[in-house]
Amino acid sequence: MQIDVLTLIAQIINFVILVVLLKYFLYNRIVKVMDERKEKIISQLKDAGQKKQEAEQEAESYRKKLKELDDKYEEMLSNAHEEVESQRKELLKKAHGEIREAQAKWYEAIQHERQLFMNDIRQQAGKEVYAVARRALADLADADLGRQIIGFFIKKIQRLDEQEIDTLRKSIQGSKKSEIDINSAFEIPPEMRQKMIHEIQKQITTTINVRFTTSPDLICGIELKVNGRKISWNLENYLRDLEDSVTNAIERKMRENQENMYQEKQNGKRQEKE
Amino acid sequence: MEISPDSVTIFIWGYFRINATIVYTWVVMALLIIVSLLVTQNLSAGFALSRWQNFLETIVDSMRNQIREIVRQRPEPYLSFIGTLFLFISISNFLSIVPGYHPPTSSFSTTAALAICVFFAVPFFSITQSGLAGYLKYYIKPSIFMLPFNILGVISHTLTLAIRLFGNIMSGTLIGAILISVVPFFVPAVMEVLELLIGQIQAYIFAILAAVYVASATRAGRNRE
Repeated sequence: MQIDVLTLIAQIINFVILVVLLKYFLYNRIVKVMDERKEKIISQLKDAGQKKQEAEQEAESYRKKLKELDDKYEEMLSNAHEEVESQRKELLKKAHGEIREAQAKWYEAIQHERQLFMNDIRQQAGKEVYAVARRALADLADADLGRQIIGFFIKKIQRLDEQEIDTLRKSIQGSKKSEIDINSAFEIPPEMRQKMIHEIQKQITTTINVRFTTSPDLICGIELKVNGRKISWNLENYLRDLEDSVTNAIERKMRENQENMYQEKQNGKRQEKE
Repeated sequence: MEISPDSVTIFIWGYFRINATIVYTWVVMALLIIVSLLVTQNLSAGFALSRWQNFLETIVDSMRNQIREIVRQRPEPYLSFIGTLFLFISISNFLSIVPGYHPPTSSFSTTAALAICVFFAVPFFSITQSGLAGYLKYYIKPSIFMLPFNILGVISHTLTLAIRLFGNIMSGTLIGAILISVVPFFVPAVMEVLELLIGQIQAYIFAILAAVYVASATRAGRNRE
């Protein structure tokens, strides 16, 4: 176990040289490359992380957009439903309105028809009643109906109270012609005319002209007119009563018919549901 | 029988007698430097590595990790010194499988030289780390009366290292030589394998011990701070 001093020194120098050479040719280079690779890996990982985050953000934004689209779709669908519903209601309302209008027109037409019909009936009934009454009166009293009516009218004039007479007088004074119109449904015989003139002069005034006219519209009646004032008797009142009762009967019948129709309709609907 | 390559003179150059230890040391140095140069010519920082680059990176990285575990700080300042110790001893021992080769580590001069290098490296690194004053304070720690013991400790560290390395390598070579003369077949081959293993273990132990010494000195300096 000897130590050769020269060898020892030489080996120390050799070793130091080796350390220096390897430091530059091996360790520094290898470590540098390894560090570079490490940096690269770290940067790539960072990059990947960043990209992942970006991708997640993008995915999140797409999910959000998809949800928005879904919501919009739902909203549009619901709007469309609402619109359809409102249109349906509107159309239904319009149809109901049209139906009501048609119903009103129809009802009006029916009313008009009924009115015409009632007028016809009234006139016809008046004539019939007049004929029946005349015949009956003729049979019973052996007198002309016209005379009876005139007689009754004369009695009516005779029974006028003071206030009525006064009113008539004032009317006559207010008129320019001082003329009384006697309008009747039939021709008044001359003796009856005289009687009437006499009675009028006696009751009301002596200074007056009496003018006689006939009008078949007066349905078996007679009337006295002076300057807007009127005293009359005719079958109109009786006929109006008759008309009222006939109208009531017809309306009752129509209501019954309508109720029946409604009932039938309801039954039909119920059967359809069942 | 030659037990030390120091006594084998290869040639004489003027005043100097160049022996086998120096020549084989040059061979090992040349081998290491040439391989390093060749491999580091085309280094790649990418992920596709050549086999040799991968091999060297593995070795360097393992050394760095070992040093980091021992010194508990950045391994880079110590890597060149401790790494070269390991590589030099390892390759010197490994080449003993080549016929006619004498490992320089079986020369006590070489192991002593390496030990002296470690001896000077400890103050070198310590001064680099914590300055000259910091290093000198280490010898009077915990009190000035410990100065002789500390000096003794440092010298004994160096001596142990040198003798340990020399003893192992020399004994390996010696046992091989004796066995060849006693049992010429088979057993020497097994012994050669064992010797190779011991050679690598010695390289590892030497490097680790050097690291421990360096670390103990620098760590002591840090603790004081």
